[in-house]
Amino acid sequence: MEIRFSAAEEAFRTDARAWLEANVPRDRRPVGADLAALRDYDLAWQQRMFEGGWAGVSWPREYGGRGASLMEQVIWYEEYARAGAPEVTTTFVGLNHAGPTLIACGSEEQKAFHLPRILRGDVVWCQGFSEPNAGSDLASLQTRAVIEGEELVVSGQKIWTSFGNVAEFQELLVRTDPEAPRHRGISWVICAMDSPGIDIRPIKTLTGDQHFCEVFYDGVRIPLRNVVGRLNDGWRVAMATLGFERGTAFLSEQIRLARRVEDLAALARSVPGPRGGRAIDDDELARRLALGRAEVDAMRAMTYRSVSLAVRTGVPGAEASVIRLFFSELVQRIDVLALDILGPAAVERRAEGPGARWADAYLGGLSQTIGGGTKDIQRNIIGERMLGLPR
Amino acid sequence: MDLTFSPEQESIRDAVRGVLADRIPPPRARAELAPDPDLWREAAALGWFGLGLPEDVGGAGYGLPEETVLFAELGRSLAAGPWLGTVLATHALAAVPARREKLASVVGGRTRVAVVDDPADGLGDAIRPGGTVRGVADGDGADVFLVLGERRVRWVPARGSGVRVVVRESLDPTRRVVDASFTDAAAEQLGAEADSLRRIALVLVAAEALGIAERTLEASVAHAKTREQFGRPIGSFQAVKHRCADMAVRTEVARSLVTFAAVALRDLEPEASRHAQQAKVLATSAALANGHDNVQNHGGMGFTWEADAHLFLKRAWLLEHAFGTRTAHLEALAAPWRAG
Repeated sequence: MEIRFSAAEEAFRTDARAWLEANVPRDRRPVGADLAALRDYDLAWQQRMFEGGWAGVSWPREYGGRGASLMEQVIWYEEYARAGAPEVTTTFVGLNHAGPTLIACGSEEQKAFHLPRILRGDVVWCQGFSEPNAGSDLASLQTRAVIEGEELVVSGQKIWTSFGNVAEFQELLVRTDPEAPRHRGISWVICAMDSPGIDIRPIKTLTGDQHFCEVFYDGVRIPLRNVVGRLNDGWRVAMATLGFERGTAFLSEQIRLARRVEDLAALARSVPGPRGGRAIDDDELARRLALGRAEVDAMRAMTYRSVSLAVRTGVPGAEASVIRLFFSELVQRIDVLALDILGPAAVERRAEGPGARWADAYLGGLSQTIGGGTKDIQRNIIGERMLGLPR
Repeated sequence: MDLTFSPEQESIRDAVRGVLADRIPPPRARAELAPDPDLWREAAALGWFGLGLPEDVGGAGYGLPEETVLFAELGRSLAAGPWLGTVLATHALAAVPARREKLASVVGGRTRVAVVDDPADGLGDAIRPGGTVRGVADGDGADVFLVLGERRVRWVPARGSGVRVVVRESLDPTRRVVDASFTDAAAEQLGAEADSLRRIALVLVAAEALGIAERTLEASVAHAKTREQFGRPIGSFQAVKHRCADMAVRTEVARSLVTFAAVALRDLEPEASRHAQQAKVLATSAALANGHDNVQNHGGMGFTWEADAHLFLKRAWLLEHAFGTRTAHLEALAAPWRAG
């Protein structure tokens, strides 16, 4: 057992840190309603990483990636978060969903066309998995695709498509065989978002922002060569996609969370407590902060343990779901603690002062236990796949 | 970076688990209050007390991570006896060449040591302790008390002059406690640092709590797979399944942090002390919550004396009160933020 990194890994860290220090954008990332500006900012940053040789650290070298080992990926994401580099949002699906899925299951033609565009920051990808009636029960999806000649003709509706209104391509799950058992009649296809018959409507979320969309398909024609993997084998491809989602990119979250606990401690020293004095002088708030930091440190230890298990066995273990669930609920505990520390300032909406930042984090954090599989689904996965409990 | 068990650590775990399973079948864990002398001898013969000592002083040459493997197994089996004090004593004695004879006797299983945690010097700060300490775990079977004061570490023969021991019942029927009174008791000071022994103790107690969390998770899952109601195993119901999932999360939290803290302490990492406290807090939380849920998951049987479920929960409470409660540690961990 060892909690130090090897000399080679430390050298990798030094390189990553130096490059990030010199290259992380100084100008602020656009926030708010202007998604086009956000897209431009993120793609410019992606291009910069590409030129510096740091695009797609987890991607194999033969596809233009860095080919970093699992432990190097951990280090990269730690340094990435530590440097305050831009959060990965508009480029997430391309880099962490579609790209790895194409590498694993795509045709040579698909890989040759799409992978360089994703890595260079030419395009944004979005996801088209969920539907109004297929959320946690994804396999019940109903969006139909009928084969006509060399094309699929798609009709139906997708929902919760982040950045759908600024994306070029979509990873789209469609039902290509309505007669087959529900897991066997699905295909994973590449959909160009500018195809005729696509209608994209933004959905305002409870935070007030509009990056979510619903997407309607009315006779949308997609070439059959855009099917990834085999026709009707899309469920298996989609499970691979979701496996990549819980990959190493997630690791930087614990670094961000550790920083938030430190920021919160600083806040607790500066705002009044519930019974006079400073918030940090309140025993309960102080203990909850200490517990929060202990849990963040536990999250880091769990991450390292999980990665070292994967290095040893060659496959990601079931602890990934445990970490995902623990993280999502920990974020929410810390968000609630922030509002408790803030006191009355938590419910004021003033541009100046700390209230808005933490209240926005709290509201945004409510999605942590919904997106990417609700906490209830995560508990089912842990119960059934890890503990072997009956369905 | 590697927080997995090495093949060697796995074989230590399997060997310890095998011996404890043979020596302490579940019913005996309930009935046998005094430490089993045969088990103690076997443990000494197998080198358990010297796991973390260098080979040149009669140890196995491993470190704290391997000792946590041992203590997790002791927790799983609800082993009785002053294991903690005895292992701590080997660390206290190994630091001083002049104590090699005592060390050999402890490592060899001939001297059993119970630890008295006295961080505020309630027994005074002189070499000879004076006063009473309540609730010393496993004090009845001990030959020596290892008294950890604020700074001093003292070696106090339990049957020496000025020592009176009164056995008390504790919440946990598998672990007796004593009130130990010292009146100008015969004692000698060991040249070890009390705080560094306390850090080791925190990690070992956390490891024992981890063992409880693991064992109760396994018991609940096994029960949920076989117990049927409404014509199906109760583990198919989400209310039960999700409770088991939460037990698994707590166990993984405890396991990761205990392992991390043990390696950090072994390697003298600057933040090791913080991690030791955090491991104690989260591992005892896991043991308490899993112990509680395990009673619940067993339904009516869980509430009986006959079932084992209550024993794990009761042991968890003793561990919570060993070497500082969660409340005390969290306040200590928050103290740097509150200063100034």
